[in-house]
Amino acid sequence: MAMIKAEKTPERSAPISESSVIGWLHKHLFSSAFNTLLTFVMLYIIYLTVSGVFSWGVLDATFVADNRRECYDNSLTGACWAGVIHWTNNIFYGRYPREEIWRINFGGLLLVLWMAPLWMSRVKGKVLVATTTVVFYPFLASYLFSGGDKGFFMQIMVAGAMTAFALNMANLLAGLFRSQGLNSFLIKALGQENASDKTQRNILLLLAGIVFGVAFFWQMGQTLQPIVWTKWGGLFLTLVISGVGIASALPGGIILALGRRSKLVIVRVLSIGFIEVFRSVPLITVLFMATTMFPLFMPEGFVLNKLVQVIIAVVLFNACYMAETVRAGLQAIPKGQYEGAHTIGLGYWRTMRLVIMPQALKYMIPNIVGSFIGLLKDTTLVSIIGLFDILGMLRSISKDTPWLGLHKEPLIFGAILFFIMCASMSKYSRHLEVKLSAGRTH
Amino acid sequence: MKLKKHIAVLAALSAAVTLGATAASAESTLNIVKARGNLRCQVGPPSPGFYNLDANGNWYGLDVSVCQGVAAAIFGDKSKLEIQSVSSQARFTALANGESDLLSRTATWTLTRDTQLGLDFVTPNFYDGQGFTVRKDSGITSALQLKGARVCVTTGTTTELNLADFSRKNHLNIKAVTFGDYNVRDDTFLKGGCDATTTDKSSLAGNLQAFPVPSNYIILPETISKEPLAPAVRQGDNQWEDIVRWTVFAMINAEELGITQANVDDMRANATDPNVRRMLGVEGNLNEGLGLDKDWAYNIIKEVGNYGEIYEKYMGNGPQGIGIPRKGSLNALWTHGGMMYSPPMR
Repeated sequence: MAMIKAEKTPERSAPISESSVIGWLHKHLFSSAFNTLLTFVMLYIIYLTVSGVFSWGVLDATFVADNRRECYDNSLTGACWAGVIHWTNNIFYGRYPREEIWRINFGGLLLVLWMAPLWMSRVKGKVLVATTTVVFYPFLASYLFSGGDKGFFMQIMVAGAMTAFALNMANLLAGLFRSQGLNSFLIKALGQENASDKTQRNILLLLAGIVFGVAFFWQMGQTLQPIVWTKWGGLFLTLVISGVGIASALPGGIILALGRRSKLVIVRVLSIGFIEVFRSVPLITVLFMATTMFPLFMPEGFVLNKLVQVIIAVVLFNACYMAETVRAGLQAIPKGQYEGAHTIGLGYWRTMRLVIMPQALKYMIPNIVGSFIGLLKDTTLVSIIGLFDILGMLRSISKDTPWLGLHKEPLIFGAILFFIMCASMSKYSRHLEVKLSAGRTH
Repeated sequence: MKLKKHIAVLAALSAAVTLGATAASAESTLNIVKARGNLRCQVGPPSPGFYNLDANGNWYGLDVSVCQGVAAAIFGDKSKLEIQSVSSQARFTALANGESDLLSRTATWTLTRDTQLGLDFVTPNFYDGQGFTVRKDSGITSALQLKGARVCVTTGTTTELNLADFSRKNHLNIKAVTFGDYNVRDDTFLKGGCDATTTDKSSLAGNLQAFPVPSNYIILPETISKEPLAPAVRQGDNQWEDIVRWTVFAMINAEELGITQANVDDMRANATDPNVRRMLGVEGNLNEGLGLDKDWAYNIIKEVGNYGEIYEKYMGNGPQGIGIPRKGSLNALWTHGGMMYSPPMR
């Protein structure tokens, strides 16, 4: 019997039990009598839950009403989303004056546009874009949100931010349509390709200077109505606190982690002490210390507003957690990498910057994003010390006379909102892992 | 729970520290407030009727009106006011360290608080007391019938202690079912998880309005505790204390004299009653002792209204009111058998 044929055996399709829906069902849901029973029981439970939630949240729910009594008149068993809808502005913007809300939206839009080039592969100069975001955006945003008179420093920063943004957008366009950086595009447009490096650099600096000058003179005539921080609230406040926390926790964490692994005794001891103190107290205690105890130690008349105190507390707290995440990443790097870097003559900082950190950060991504998600959710603790962040606002709906006692719907709405934010962060982190192929080795 | 204890200890500690620290500051509160250009008035996390946020982010309520009244008395403009919402753990600290000028937040006036926290209560602007709500079909008509009943109560407040005292005194053997959140407490009561729910009567009335079918429930007549709710100021600045006290009195007095937000201009121009003329600053110099302008009381009434109007707006049947009847209650004017009584303004 010849087992080996000269010609290829024709390909057969996969057995029906592997490829068809019925086959899949049979294999996964009805493979035995017990599994069949389980399947039906589970289906019934799912049906009960989903239909219950659906009829409460959608079918019987009231979406348009002026107060809770009208909701009850409409349906006693359904949700009353009208209260949440009435409170939309409070939930998203807090007590921010309604006619100034565009400033928050505009600030958010600016950030998205500013960061957009970082996700586009054709755009050049990403490091510069990221740096300007960190250096200039916070000033522009803080002025946009709080308004009032600009000091000289603030004027410089605001004008600088506008310049950076304009150049960033021009660079984005140059990248998208010409696939080159703004600098080479301008040089080419001015016919200076053959000029020396120094001339080219001077031309670019001159152009940037002109833009800065125009921006500076324009902003001098613009003053936004001042808005005191106590009017900030809702999702906006949550994002401000966690945004600042996220942006500064990573650099702070890296410095602390390096400090903890340092060979300099004082630096190491201080870092360890700092990290362990903050890690061993609950965030709420740190918040209370920052808002009630801290002012007592300050000289009289030295007043930091509560928001700044809270942000400082959140940043310090999260930097310490981040430090441990970073340290874990650093420990995952084999010793050979350090030795290799030393061999080719790199010093401490360059070893860290060029060899160790780029590798270590890859390993840390899941944990870093985990911390960020934790941070975003932890921020809701500030509602306990009397800031009206999103949770504070959601909980206040049940105290507003027309919506007295309406507490389930707002919290469910908040849960959905947080789920969307946290799930997209977590999805993005998986995408990053794949992109940086950190997942491949595990 | 442990967390709460930590916080309370921390807050008490910091209150004690600040007390020593601020006793030395000599600048009068009135001057500080005037120089700053607005009044910092402390309320708590929203509480129906007393201080809540509306959908546009504005504060309103009975206690907010006291803040507005003081701002109006000083600046002639009730909007020169920053409302601070502070958690109850930090409330006395925030007053002691000068963050707030005034505390107007349903704080019960008790001896301990008056003597040990470095603050002074000015005068009650609302008399509350703990009561019970039961289902109508339970047949219970008196709190003394609650023998062996399960009663829903929010934990960590004096409410829980009052309930235990009441039960022990009357041998009722009441089982307390405790909750952290009053909404959950009421939901449990509505779903039959307990036979009665207890808290201050003002909230009972407010919450009752929010029940699906309010007519199925009744509030029992007994009041088992005394809760005189009063604004408070830091100890040691008598002028400031007088300003806040007489702001509340001016509101009560205006109601007694029949001065309303609507007729105050007319009254100032045409009234012949010397009491009215003195109060509105047409004659005499009542303002001098307070260090305020001549039309301080006029401004209070003009900007905020008299006590009766404010009560109707936020506690009574106004559009933002929570529907607590005033007639026959302690919060009626003394001329109607209540406790709202202002010493003469002369």
